[in-house]
Amino acid sequence: MRLVEGKKGQTYTVKAINAEESLERRLRMLGLTDGSFISILGKKRCGSMVVKIRGTRFALGSAVSSAIEVGGETECRKL
Amino acid sequence: MQETVNVAFIGNPNCGKTTLFNAYTGAKLKVANWPGVTVEKKEGIMKYHDAKYKLCDLPGIYSLTSYTMEETVSRNYILSDDVDIIVDVVDASALERNLFLALGLIELGKPVVIALNMMDIIEERGMEIDLHRLPEMLGVPVIPVSARKRTGLSTLMHAVAHHVTEKSDKPVHHHSEGSHVHKHHDELAMVYSDDIEDKIDALSTLLQEKYKNLGNYRWYAIKTLEGDKDILENYPVDIKFDDKNYEDEIINQKYEFIEEIISETLVNKDEKARKTDKADKALTHPVWGIPIFLVIMAAVFFLTFTVGDFIKGYFEKGLDILSGALPPALEKMGAGPMLVSLIVDGILAGVGGILTFLPNIFILFLALAFLEDSGYMSRIAYVMDNVMGKIGLSGRAFIPMILGFGCSVPAVMASRALEDRRDRIKTILVTPFMSCSARLPIYIMFSEMFFEKYAMLVAYSMYIIGVIAAILIALIMSKIDKKRAEHSLLIELPEYKMPNIHTVFIYVWEKVKDYLTKAGTTIFIASIILWFLLNFGFGGLTDNMGDSFAGVLGKNLVPILKPAGLGFWQIAVALIAGVAAKEVVVSSTGVLFGVANAASAAGRAAIFASFQGIGFGAVNAMSLMLFCLLYIPCVATIATIRREAGRKWAWASALLHLSTAWLVSTLFYTIASLL
Repeated sequence: MRLVEGKKGQTYTVKAINAEESLERRLRMLGLTDGSFISILGKKRCGSMVVKIRGTRFALGSAVSSAIEVGGETECRKL
Repeated sequence: MQETVNVAFIGNPNCGKTTLFNAYTGAKLKVANWPGVTVEKKEGIMKYHDAKYKLCDLPGIYSLTSYTMEETVSRNYILSDDVDIIVDVVDASALERNLFLALGLIELGKPVVIALNMMDIIEERGMEIDLHRLPEMLGVPVIPVSARKRTGLSTLMHAVAHHVTEKSDKPVHHHSEGSHVHKHHDELAMVYSDDIEDKIDALSTLLQEKYKNLGNYRWYAIKTLEGDKDILENYPVDIKFDDKNYEDEIINQKYEFIEEIISETLVNKDEKARKTDKADKALTHPVWGIPIFLVIMAAVFFLTFTVGDFIKGYFEKGLDILSGALPPALEKMGAGPMLVSLIVDGILAGVGGILTFLPNIFILFLALAFLEDSGYMSRIAYVMDNVMGKIGLSGRAFIPMILGFGCSVPAVMASRALEDRRDRIKTILVTPFMSCSARLPIYIMFSEMFFEKYAMLVAYSMYIIGVIAAILIALIMSKIDKKRAEHSLLIELPEYKMPNIHTVFIYVWEKVKDYLTKAGTTIFIASIILWFLLNFGFGGLTDNMGDSFAGVLGKNLVPILKPAGLGFWQIAVALIAGVAAKEVVVSSTGVLFGVANAASAAGRAAIFASFQGIGFGAVNAMSLMLFCLLYIPCVATIATIRREAGRKWAWASALLHLSTAWLVSTLFYTIASLL
């Protein structure tokens, strides 16, 4: 599933990033490597969300959250 | 002649580089709690133990690959030969992410010292970092500091002084040994898998044969393997590996190493950072986020008008006394009537009138400083992302627009954080529509004069109309270039914190100083020039201002301004003068009507009477305020736009603003006259 379909308060594992090269590279450098965790802290109907990646909060636009392929939903753990 | 050591401060955005730089150099560069405050390289000199150090503060970056203008500035500088030693400022409270850049910097091969900043926050949270193991694993010195509390600063400089010449300690190795030996592995902290290392070795050999004196071949090899555009273009090599994405692989392995470091050095990771989550529940709420933002902004301006006006009352009284006492005193000293007129009707009327608005400006910037240092700023980008998307811009573009409430010049520069050039241009063009602090005196003076009870409401409406104008123009522009919204917002949300008194003080003081300087220079000179242009004409000294140079010039513009209800030569003159700085519209009104205490009740009454004398009423005043809100931003802003976007866009901006101002005020005046 895509991160944009995720639920608030859940943590997912990153499976892939399907974005243009520059965005993908950017996300990777921020620590969004395959197998890393991403937690959804807040979400708007339009698909933009507040997430936590490796201990840091980021705001993502809907295009970004749609590009991240995730799996393995778990309760929000302390990252 | 002793040599100067060039020290570059680099690190992730919002990790405290500028705070550290200020602490060392005594500079008062702006600091705030959102990523992207610093957009320019800034240098400062300091002495330490008889040696001279040139410190360089750079915009924050997440990696050595650049996307935005500010990131390019940092990368190019770091890669240049001008840097003797790198101080990597690492935010200890976000160690995991910060170490990614650190590993990249260490790979560069230049001396690196890590300044582990925000140690006070780590302690507050009950976390601990193993300061013995961390430098061991990285192979570079790690010095704990708190830039905010100014601790550890001399230890850090000590380490810099030592490591600029000495090679760093060898990292204590922990990597599982590979199947075979590679080059220089014992000197490196970050060692990749055998597969990658083999390719790095092969590439560095090739590079070494083809390019002499490149220096650190390993770094060039890694960048080649990553597919870095700049390196591939400048140093191409003939070698083809399979199509595997090595860049991802390299990033992955770096993060794997970082995870190892974290697990070995970070004790008690259980952070107590729940306060930010709680605050975000309300402030970034999907429904309430926008209303809360609007209430906060309304509160900012409410304070500016009420508290500011309260203090302003005392300033006005002082100016009243001065303008009453000054002429007799000057005459006593033997000044001729001409000089008295220049000082009282020219300088005091212009500069003094402007100074009375200082309290409002002070309160406005105090409120903005709180907003910026609390951590709310980047939340605004998230809250407004959807709305901004509808007008074809990223939520990130809203940050320059908010800064525009303070001053358009830094606001235009803040647009550098936007990746897309078209987004940047659009943002630069609409940002001046946000009412900057220089327009505040205009609103206050005219709304109090003509709308009494409703003064605050009228002034508020100017702010809202400015925002609406910005949004509409952006919408029209995105229709023209047919660009669909991309919703590609990506911005870090820092932890909320209580605004730091020192930071807020610097911020507000710098702005107040700017305002005073402007009053003493631009406005002072503009007032003197205006006085001359008003008192001299083609026939020499004139008693009738209408025949003066300014009068003749203004009269020529009357037909153009007439449809907007501004067909008065005095107004035309004030508007032209206002291009120098928008406060000049207010100061020149004082000069034009020869009222020294333009801001006080008595002065206002005198100006009001003069206005009524020429048939300038409330509708005209409203039209004038609209025109001032929208027309050509000041000279300083135009110059900034020229620097940031080029001459063409500076002209475009002037034209866009002028025509918008004329259209809107004409439309308003026409409708209002019909009613």
